[in-house]
Amino acid sequence: MSDIALSCDQISVNFGGVRACNQVSLSVPAGKIVGLIGPNGAGKTTLFNVLTRFQPQSEGDVFINGTNVNRHKPHDMIRIGMARTFQNINLFKEQSTLDNILIGSHTLVGNPIAAMMWLGGARKREAGLIRRAEELAEMLHLTRELDNAVGNLSYGYQKRVELARALAAEPNLILLDEPVAGCNDEETADIQNIVRSLNEQLGITVLLVEHDMSMVMKLCDYIYVINFGSNLAQGTPKEVRANPEVISAYLGDEED
Amino acid sequence: MLKTDNTLAIAGRTAPASARESVKSLKARFARENWIMGILLFVCLAAAPILPGVKGWMATEASLVIIYIIAAQGVSILTGYTGLVSVGHGGFLAAGAYTSALFTEHYGIDMSVGLVLGAIFAGAIGQIMGLVFLRLSGAFMAIGTLGFAFFVGTIVNNVPLFEGRDGISLDHNHFFGFEIGDFGFYYVSLGVLALVTVFIYMLLNSGVGRAFKALRDSEKAAEASGVHRVRYRILAFTVSAAITGLAGVLNAHIVNYISAEVYGDIWYSVDILVAAIIGGSAMLMGPFVGGLFVVMVPFYLETLADFSFVLKGVVLILVLIFAPSGVAELIGRPLRNYRQKLLRAVQASQGPTAAESDIGGRRNV
Repeated sequence: MSDIALSCDQISVNFGGVRACNQVSLSVPAGKIVGLIGPNGAGKTTLFNVLTRFQPQSEGDVFINGTNVNRHKPHDMIRIGMARTFQNINLFKEQSTLDNILIGSHTLVGNPIAAMMWLGGARKREAGLIRRAEELAEMLHLTRELDNAVGNLSYGYQKRVELARALAAEPNLILLDEPVAGCNDEETADIQNIVRSLNEQLGITVLLVEHDMSMVMKLCDYIYVINFGSNLAQGTPKEVRANPEVISAYLGDEED
Repeated sequence: MLKTDNTLAIAGRTAPASARESVKSLKARFARENWIMGILLFVCLAAAPILPGVKGWMATEASLVIIYIIAAQGVSILTGYTGLVSVGHGGFLAAGAYTSALFTEHYGIDMSVGLVLGAIFAGAIGQIMGLVFLRLSGAFMAIGTLGFAFFVGTIVNNVPLFEGRDGISLDHNHFFGFEIGDFGFYYVSLGVLALVTVFIYMLLNSGVGRAFKALRDSEKAAEASGVHRVRYRILAFTVSAAITGLAGVLNAHIVNYISAEVYGDIWYSVDILVAAIIGGSAMLMGPFVGGLFVVMVPFYLETLADFSFVLKGVVLILVLIFAPSGVAELIGRPLRNYRQKLLRAVQASQGPTAAESDIGGRRNV
């Protein structure tokens, strides 16, 4: 495993004539929390989709855990240790918390033919997955909700279920797409604590794409700022906060 | 890799491990009860022929119900659990039926072999259809599969091998070498139904069933969790087609005659889809209720002739409005509510749930 968990090099994405990303580069060192920020329409989500392979890039390379993933599909990513969450919670709402977490461990199910016929230790494996899902639920304080449909849970708890699902395949890198979008202050603080504990206690590398500046400033070791699809600035939270270009991108120029 | 000895230092509350154990033992009890009820159902069905006044034609009618149940079970795999509406399963029924009929006609095979061959051949066609319809979903999938049903209809009508409307007549049925009559056929059908039901139960309670449901509920989230969309869709098609193919084999042998008159049309496709939907396509017991309905309504309303079609349509509309999850869900609701209450009671002994407490549950720290 290399020291760089994720890096992308000169990523460009064209939608017809529109260039959503223009030669964006960034790298996320293993064990760190790195933030990706930018004003609305800066290309954050497009870049996020490229990194998670939901959107193919027009140019450039993406490396995850030292592997070039240009030809990988979204479902391949979890196998090389990268999990993601969605901007607006994307859970299986009718299903229970336990089932939602279990889907996260899909890659550990093994041969589907053996699994569906309960052959070759499939049941033992399944019991192991359920035990691990329960452990994860306990870590995220979801034990009480394991048998309840996630559609009935509060927003903050649904966020936790999504995180638990992402963690179920034991990733070493997790990409969070605006994890506190639509959260109130309490929920934001909650998610913030969880992300920090994931990083500190489990050693998981985090790439955080976020709008909420205060959260990014508090959590991240390093921040990339993009604007109009291009790299604008990068540095520690302190450097980024003091960067005049970033300020003008977010607040507009003084003359305006 | 994961540290599990300590919980993450975050707001929330931990439930004591013993509480989880009591919930789990309750759920295990429910599962046990389900098994017992299922076994009882099959024991009753198996014992039914010893009742006084049971005649051969009743066994045949019951076998017909079972055939529809199995066919609808095939549909439920694809339509109920994987979320791909199929209006073309009559094609897979025909595949199973013609495979077994042709092998029996030309090679005189045993019905047990016919069942295996029919399932394999229908499954293979299902696999191909899974590939063909890879990018379709929703209404487009329905139209695509309908096209498949028409395609199969045209083939059996016009390709000489299938002997068109003259049809293929078969000799008496042999199962494991024994000649079987009406009751024998009933037991064979019942055995196939039991096997298929147990298989579907196992599938649903495995990672494969979870992946199917995940694809149904959110393809994106499923893929992000590592579900290979293409592979699992094709698997769902294959399993679904093979099960309906089994029903097709039984359907060919129940009257020992098949022809393009029946398989050249799309009525079978519509009927088994209606059976799956009326009963409840995402429930293990759904096809049982639906199969019973689809066969018994025309049977009892024979005197009204085509009116039974009208009734089927009306019931379908009523079910879609008032019980979109199917009649089986309606029937099972009291039991589910009762179990939910038991589960809630056990959970309530551990304090409020997140759903009941404030947002994020932070005040419960």
